[in-house]
Amino acid sequence: MQINYFDFCFRFRLSQLKSLIHSTDLCRLSIRKQEVAGIRSKFPNKIPVIIERYGREKYLPPLDKTKFLVPHELPMTQFVTIIRNRMALLPTQAFYLLINNGGLASMSLTMAQVYKDHQDEDGFLYMTYASQEMFGHRFPL
Amino acid sequence: MNTVSPSAAQYVGGVMQEELVENRRQQPLERQGSFGLRSPQTPDPSREATGEPDEMDKLKAKLMSAWNNVKYGWTVKSKTSFNKISPVTVLGHSYLLNSEDEVERFRLAFVSRIWLTYRREFPQLEGSTWTTDCGWGCMLRSGQMLLAQGLLVHLMPRDWAWPDVQQLTDVDFEVFRPRSPARAGGVPIPSFATPRGTNTPEKSLPSDQVPKCSQKKRPESVRDSQVEPVHHRLVTWFGDQPPAPFGIHQLVEISKSSGKKAGDWYGPSIVAHILRKAVAKTSVVHNLVVYVAQDCTVYKEDVVRLCDLSLSQTPPDPSNQAWKSVIILVPVRLGGEALNPSYIECVKNILKLDCCIGIIGGKPKHSLYFIGFQDEQLLYLDPHYCQPVVDVSQVNFSLESFHCSSPKKMPFSRMDPSCTIGFYAKNKKDFESLCSAVSEDGLCYWEKYPIFTFVEGQSQDYGLEGHSSNNSGPAAHILPPGKLGRSNNRRNSDEFVFL
Repeated sequence: MQINYFDFCFRFRLSQLKSLIHSTDLCRLSIRKQEVAGIRSKFPNKIPVIIERYGREKYLPPLDKTKFLVPHELPMTQFVTIIRNRMALLPTQAFYLLINNGGLASMSLTMAQVYKDHQDEDGFLYMTYASQEMFGHRFPL
Repeated sequence: MNTVSPSAAQYVGGVMQEELVENRRQQPLERQGSFGLRSPQTPDPSREATGEPDEMDKLKAKLMSAWNNVKYGWTVKSKTSFNKISPVTVLGHSYLLNSEDEVERFRLAFVSRIWLTYRREFPQLEGSTWTTDCGWGCMLRSGQMLLAQGLLVHLMPRDWAWPDVQQLTDVDFEVFRPRSPARAGGVPIPSFATPRGTNTPEKSLPSDQVPKCSQKKRPESVRDSQVEPVHHRLVTWFGDQPPAPFGIHQLVEISKSSGKKAGDWYGPSIVAHILRKAVAKTSVVHNLVVYVAQDCTVYKEDVVRLCDLSLSQTPPDPSNQAWKSVIILVPVRLGGEALNPSYIECVKNILKLDCCIGIIGGKPKHSLYFIGFQDEQLLYLDPHYCQPVVDVSQVNFSLESFHCSSPKKMPFSRMDPSCTIGFYAKNKKDFESLCSAVSEDGLCYWEKYPIFTFVEGQSQDYGLEGHSSNNSGPAAHILPPGKLGRSNNRRNSDEFVFL
């Protein structure tokens, strides 16, 4: 009986927690939407982009700023160059921008094209930057 | 582990441009720290500086070597099943394994590839106590295999196959029922492999017991006697001795300029640059250059400048038709944590290309050299097998440990997203057909975006001059980070960076 009681409590709490998370998500979404609407009305010729560091990135430094307002016609090549320069990376250092953490952003496109295809529900374009993994085995001591 | 070393962090704070530029010059040294984070040895900076590893380090290295030699000195013998009713692709050629002839062609194609593995007891790597690369050198080995394949197509006749090719071992040829998880008729067809080969673990046998080449050995032709010395010489370039131009000693030496050292782990992109430098440095290979793409972009004119010898003459002489062959390496990242499944078709299409010389990548932390695929599985050569060093300076050293007779496969879903794709173009015409092949519609696309692009012009036409030609400052239109925050509209746009 006791187990069932705890189980019940646990499930109850869990459902509460889930709805809480859901509502904060919704809340955050609407805040972000407002933010984008505001910025878009002030700078209609700019695209809001958020650049995040890949969660398991070990070699690239974090960016001091993650939100960017970029011109529509800026080519991806130049955008990547700008980010690379902000991090002071060497040209031979691996650096990749993944759209929505999934696919490589083609260098020949403009920001407007990428934005059109991949903007988030909240109006931002999300990109993740990552280098490459290293291969080898750890000595088990 | 996600933090960066303090030295790296200082570049992103509110540093002014001048400082930034200056600091970039010292970077290779400082980055060492962040690269070494995961390395099995934890270097002590003070000791590093003197370059004298103390007793404790020596002991540690010895222990590690012993462990790795045990770990990679044997392999689990598992059979690889090949489907007889769907084609297996090896570097641009397809084989349908339903007839003995086709299996034979597949065998020649697979076993003739050069296989480079971990080695032990080689001369000590300079500045370290390492005499083996077991446990850390797998990516370098995969890179060596990719370069070796490039050199094979560069130097050997088009349809070359090693005349002493061994029988395939640990393979089954079966008919898989399509769209069914259970295999139908899992009956091995013993006639396709030697009766001994199918159940004998080839790798664990001493070399004198390894089943020698087949009864169907081709008669020694005149051509073989001319070509085989080249094959032999090619393998000596990958010998584990300091003078070998593409040996582990040389590659580790070159990698020092990128802040790496013996015992560190390597990635596919770093290895691509190491190979480029190694080929540029040596005089043993003539008429070959390596180009490494940056940001998944190959600038055609940059390649032409490397290859077209008439341009390098002063004054340029357009009548000179000389053209260097080129290996084009494209480091990519095909997804975040795992391979993005929409890239599987792209990888297949690339491996189907005649000009593709393979892909270096692997499973997470386990580098492999991918040379083909069948259905949803990649075909690879695995460097994770520790063999004793072979003295390649001996005349007629045995080539047996440099070729692999047991093909292995792994599902695409386990492929690590970090890899480097290799292409080879012998002449101008080849390069042009490579350009048109890779820009073909739908060849290597994720949604509408290609994995990599070949574009007209030079990298400097795209505002990358300062970027690619080492250490000059960022392009002029970028505001220094210090001023960025102070743009107009403080209220909600001040956290944005204006470009």
